[in-house]
Amino acid sequence: MLASISWLKNYVDIDVTPDELAAALTSVGLEVESVIELGKGIEGVVTGKVVEISRHPDSDHLWVCMMDYGQGGENVQILTGAQNVRQNDIVPVATVGATLPPSGRNPEGMKLKACKMRGLDSFGMLCSADELGIDSKLLLPEQRNGIYILPEDTPIGVDIRKVIGLDDYVLDIDLTANKQDCFCMTGLAREAAAVLGKTMTMPSLKVKEEAAGKANEMARVDIACPELCSRFTERVLKNIKIMPSPMWMQNHLRACGMRPISNVVDVTNYVMLELGQPMHAYDYDTITDHHTIVRRGNDGEKLNTLDGQERILDHTMITISDPVHAVGLGGVMGGLETEVTDKTTTVLLEAASFHGPSIRRTSKALGLRSEASGRFERGIDIARCTAALDRAANLLEAMGACETVPGIIDCYAVPYEPALIKVTPATINTRIGVEISREEMIDILNRLQFKVEEEGELLVITAPTWRQDVTCDADISEEIARMHSYDKIESHMPALDLVQGRQDVAEDVNDQVEDYMVSAGMDEVMTYTFIHPNAVDKLLLAENDARRTYIKIMNPISDEFGVMRTCMIPSMLQTASYNLARQVESVKIFEIGKTFHPQSLPLEDFPEEKQVLCAVMSGKRNALSWNTSKDNIDFYDMKGALEGLMAALGVKDYKLTLETQPYLHPGKSCAIVYDDKVIGYMGEIHPTVADNFDVPEATYVMELEISPLVEAATRVPQYVHLPKFPSMSRDIAVVVPKEVSNAELESVIRKFAGELLQDVRIFDIYTGKQVAEGCKSLAFNLTYQASDRTLTDAEVDASMKQVIAEVGEAYKAKLRD
Amino acid sequence: MKEKLLALKEQAMAELDAVTSLDALKDIRVKYLGKKGPMTEILRGMGKLPAEERPVIGQIVNEIKSALEKAINAKTDVLEKQALADKLANDKVDITLPGRKAEKGHLHPITLTMREIKKIFMRMGFDVMEGPEIENDYFNFEALNLPADHPARDMQDSFYITEKFLLRTQTSPIQARTMQSREPNSPIRMIAPGTVYRNDYDATHSPMFHQVEGLVLDKNISLADLKGTLELFCKEMFGSSVKIRLRPSYFPFTEPSAEVDISCVICGGKGCRVCKNSGWLEILGSGMVHPHVLEMSGYDPSIINGYAFGMGVERIAMLKYGIDDLRLFFENDLRFVRQFK
Repeated sequence: MLASISWLKNYVDIDVTPDELAAALTSVGLEVESVIELGKGIEGVVTGKVVEISRHPDSDHLWVCMMDYGQGGENVQILTGAQNVRQNDIVPVATVGATLPPSGRNPEGMKLKACKMRGLDSFGMLCSADELGIDSKLLLPEQRNGIYILPEDTPIGVDIRKVIGLDDYVLDIDLTANKQDCFCMTGLAREAAAVLGKTMTMPSLKVKEEAAGKANEMARVDIACPELCSRFTERVLKNIKIMPSPMWMQNHLRACGMRPISNVVDVTNYVMLELGQPMHAYDYDTITDHHTIVRRGNDGEKLNTLDGQERILDHTMITISDPVHAVGLGGVMGGLETEVTDKTTTVLLEAASFHGPSIRRTSKALGLRSEASGRFERGIDIARCTAALDRAANLLEAMGACETVPGIIDCYAVPYEPALIKVTPATINTRIGVEISREEMIDILNRLQFKVEEEGELLVITAPTWRQDVTCDADISEEIARMHSYDKIESHMPALDLVQGRQDVAEDVNDQVEDYMVSAGMDEVMTYTFIHPNAVDKLLLAENDARRTYIKIMNPISDEFGVMRTCMIPSMLQTASYNLARQVESVKIFEIGKTFHPQSLPLEDFPEEKQVLCAVMSGKRNALSWNTSKDNIDFYDMKGALEGLMAALGVKDYKLTLETQPYLHPGKSCAIVYDDKVIGYMGEIHPTVADNFDVPEATYVMELEISPLVEAATRVPQYVHLPKFPSMSRDIAVVVPKEVSNAELESVIRKFAGELLQDVRIFDIYTGKQVAEGCKSLAFNLTYQASDRTLTDAEVDASMKQVIAEVGEAYKAKLRD
Repeated sequence: MKEKLLALKEQAMAELDAVTSLDALKDIRVKYLGKKGPMTEILRGMGKLPAEERPVIGQIVNEIKSALEKAINAKTDVLEKQALADKLANDKVDITLPGRKAEKGHLHPITLTMREIKKIFMRMGFDVMEGPEIENDYFNFEALNLPADHPARDMQDSFYITEKFLLRTQTSPIQARTMQSREPNSPIRMIAPGTVYRNDYDATHSPMFHQVEGLVLDKNISLADLKGTLELFCKEMFGSSVKIRLRPSYFPFTEPSAEVDISCVICGGKGCRVCKNSGWLEILGSGMVHPHVLEMSGYDPSIINGYAFGMGVERIAMLKYGIDDLRLFFENDLRFVRQFK
């Protein structure tokens, strides 16, 4: 919200600098985000009169103006290319040496010099509103182009900043949702007065009421939905003269970000900004029977609103109506047909109190958020409706723009009961953790215009009508604390029992997993949990794959972030692709993230959220160096990461099985099985999927659920005695057909080597000239050991003989030389 | 005879002096002390000497032998040392070549920051609680004193799944969940870290980000206690010279509410571009838990009260590491991630 300081000064004597005022307001909870100096950068621009104007003899667009800007002596010649200047116009004149602020036309600002245009001297420049730094949104369309023509009664030779209100500072306040009482100048003035120790004065509400007749006889109001409209008041203004409002009012409106239009509209806006009460003006003669009815809309009912759009109403919307048809959406926007126009002679002025949540729903549903709806949403001071009518009449009368019909039509359906709060100073002090005296508390509350009575220890507090946000003693504590000053609250540590803070063991295991992955050279990434719905197609998932049942976001940022992921792979492949495209030669990344699995759709219950580890590797195994392998990452890098992780967690009895996924290479992938359940998959990405995600074919992924491993990972390892006797080792080479797996051979060896065998390690795989076509030679190292004695060669040789015989039975085996 | 022996010794010593290689030294040993050497020969020819000379000559020969032996050993020692020194002098690596190392990966700066925040609060006895990311309207809003159509819901533009479910906009629902899972009025000291979502996407907003909320409920907890706790947290996080400031603010779930600023970590409070010359940086929101929030989760505000706070992890990470663009966190450029440890 924008607040003009010069406007605030109408109600409170502000004798501090704008920055000091900003700090004071911020300290009591009205956060001033910035202090804007209007007219900054304008120097030497004064009002001047076009005494004579003639065409430039050598130009078809330039004009030669002879200007009087109070300089004395002869008129000054200034040339302009604008086409809207006429003799006797009063305009802003930038004299030689003047400076202008940055603007649309002069982004850097400018300093005026005398110059020649087509042979004629020009000693200055006539200015447009834009050149004075005024936002064109705050101007009427006719003021946006050409020179800014000022009212004809504007004095000459006056600093332009004074004339158009640029000698002002504006506070940009980030108003919190509870401070509805400060959504107006008088509310801010009240807070400023309270914090600066001043008194505030309210604006004049005197109305002459000089027109003939009685309001009650000229118009009628009925409220059919008191739950949505607790009060609706009207005044009748006769002999309306539509004209521009006075310069001071236009200046204040512009300073606060509103565009001046004409007096009646401006006054309704001005009073809203001044008192916080939104208002609406109807052309009295367009309201059938001059009878206003506040009711719920009929479903499907139509209304053309002021912005020219046809709106379809429903029963949740507060509708202002006459006996025949709807004439406005209460608190949101008026109707086009009952709008005040140049031809209007009598105005029906409305000030009402509407139900905030309903206004909020309606304005959201219609996409019509306005200054008025924003105020109703937060709640307005219901006691102030009639004051707003009086103030508006007072202002229009002062302009000579109307005569007011005596009386107010006041339909007050639900009278407001201010909150009564009983609290002891001790309760407040305990909550804040300070010692504020009873007297200071009463003083603070009085400054904020709360009524305080004393009942023994208790303070009996009545909140003013504009403080509907104050309902309980916690609210009173806040009023006391903020006015006493948060800075005066001394830090203190809570006196609590000594305990150990803990996180869930599952979180500990997550940390362990992250730490292992990092130690294995993987970088952690963080991807969005919402993905594009086409990701499941890009993964080649089958039509009936459960992962196609994803949760959709109703209002996503875009399709790209449209659904909650059921699988981490797409986000991770995108990240890999992004980095490979940026010449990262070795991408090894992981993330522990969530996937979301609904029980049914549309969602009726909480979905299952699974914590999943996903890793991707692609590119070079090592950063380029002179002494490391220059090979690309392969399947066994990812398998190594898995094995290393399982070892780090202390998980031993997991298995890899030949089960695959549509997005994996069928011959280079497997499932990870633990406790008889598949807890993940790993392998090379399917070439089509690689293509879909723009990553190389040699890209490897792993996905693994962490929670099944938590129990094993948190088991404390138990010590096993170190061997007392030396081990012996033997090597054996076996030539087998290519299809025979390592595991198969290893299990045969283990089966026949006997119980002295401690370990079998494969250390070489050979295919080539020395072995037959379609075969491979595998070399194993066997370690033998006994816990009670040193083994003899004879014992080991006997076992080896058995192994060779049995393996040789199945395949062709020989001892390695 | 004696003269001959002494001359021999003289000669041997001279040769020893001149020798420069271990091989030559070996030759000298063989030449003088070997089986065919002069000493052996003299000893062998002792029989021809007169009986009274034999012991004298014998002793001289032995003395010379042992002197030579000693001298040769000493020389061996010198030459061996010399040879080792020569060998080492020529045996060099290029210490400027890169080593062979196990390259460590990197944790994401949000994880690093999250871990640090958790550690600080766990040391103060706060438990870490988790909750679902797809939350219902009741826990995300209503139980936190944010009824439907409340204007403060604008502070948190939500991603909706259905009318009832949404992506949580804050981790505060975990506070209500925790209260409702406990015996009414039992003390609580917890933080709730996690991923949260808001429908806002531009240079300074990410639709997904991270928060840590905190809650302390006990008897006689005050705003001064809140200030003390957060001051300690900020000093642990940003260094002991950091100051904090509380400003009145508004959150529907707390009353009184306070915005918490720290003295600018970039300029130390003097005023700079980052703190917009104010010397202060806004880092978290906080306040005394609103009585309605306690009541809705079965706690009696006349018996127990407390404070709550919430902070954006990205904001803290940006200040801690001097990161000036929020979008970097989720672009996952490895050249970014690899800068942190």
